Amino acid sequence: MLKNPQAGDSLPAIEKDIDQERIWQWAKLSGDFNRLHVDPGYAQQTSFKGTIAHGPMSLAFLNELMMDCFGNGWTEGGKLLDVRFVAPIRPGDRIRINGIVKEINKKEAKYYVECDLFIEKESGEKAVMGRGIGLFQAEEK
Amino acid sequence: MNFSSPRETEIGDKGTRVVNNQEKKPELVFTDLPLGRTFRPLEYAVTKDLVQEFMEVVGDRHPLYWDKTLAKPSLIAPPGLAAIYARLSYLQDHSMPSGGVLAKQEFEFHNPVLIGDILQVKAQVCESYLDEKGRRRVTFLIEAQSQEGQAVSTIRLYAIWPK
Repeated sequence: MLKNPQAGDSLPAIEKDIDQERIWQWAKLSGDFNRLHVDPGYAQQTSFKGTIAHGPMSLAFLNELMMDCFGNGWTEGGKLLDVRFVAPIRPGDRIRINGIVKEINKKEAKYYVECDLFIEKESGEKAVMGRGIGLFQAEEK
Repeated sequence: MNFSSPRETEIGDKGTRVVNNQEKKPELVFTDLPLGRTFRPLEYAVTKDLVQEFMEVVGDRHPLYWDKTLAKPSLIAPPGLAAIYARLSYLQDHSMPSGGVLAKQEFEFHNPVLIGDILQVKAQVCESYLDEKGRRRVTFLIEAQSQEGQAVSTIRLYAIWPK
């Protein structure tokens, strides 16, 4: 959980290694067996020149980050906004799921902590960008 | 339909993974997606096994999913499951044509999902148009609620449709 967050603070980043096995497991979990994700031979013939991870898996990673930061303040009023997929995540990528506190607003007994969120590769290239708003009860902050 | 984790795969010759049954459903094409279209509600069972599998695949092992001493009054499900049931909500009777792009997505969480809940997930087309470049733009509004009718999540999924 975040403790006494302030604008400009970095969120506790999460790192993941993406490989074809993990993509395959997500396909089974989600039912999304699009060949672009699970068929390397097919994917090689596309403009992506290889398989890519499912976009919703990245959404799950952003949710993980916000759960780590806000717990029930994510499941009860949290918002994940304007999440865009700006570069494909590929097998072999090590990614960092991260964020920065942008602003904090208090309404009644709750603090609304707005964060810029992103998933980036080791090269620094951003793959996913968005915003999240998590909640704290006033006595928790 | 009670849909949790699909298991429609097998290992084919030379270890190649083969997907069964995935292409038997008709493709959901742009002309099937006029503004206002609704889909039959998806019943999505949030079982302990599903949550366990999600934790393993994603690596999200928040203690509220498994530690009963912390999770009061009961264990909750990872909110990231919404990324899965959102997509399934409009693909129960269709397959997704190849080449689509998930352009943007938004989630709003209202109440936690408890392990054992059976969600009812409803999808509606709230935008369907050709943009200035002739791309087929479709936006779904997806709302999930618990078996008691309590709102769980609202999702907006913005896609560029392939055909």
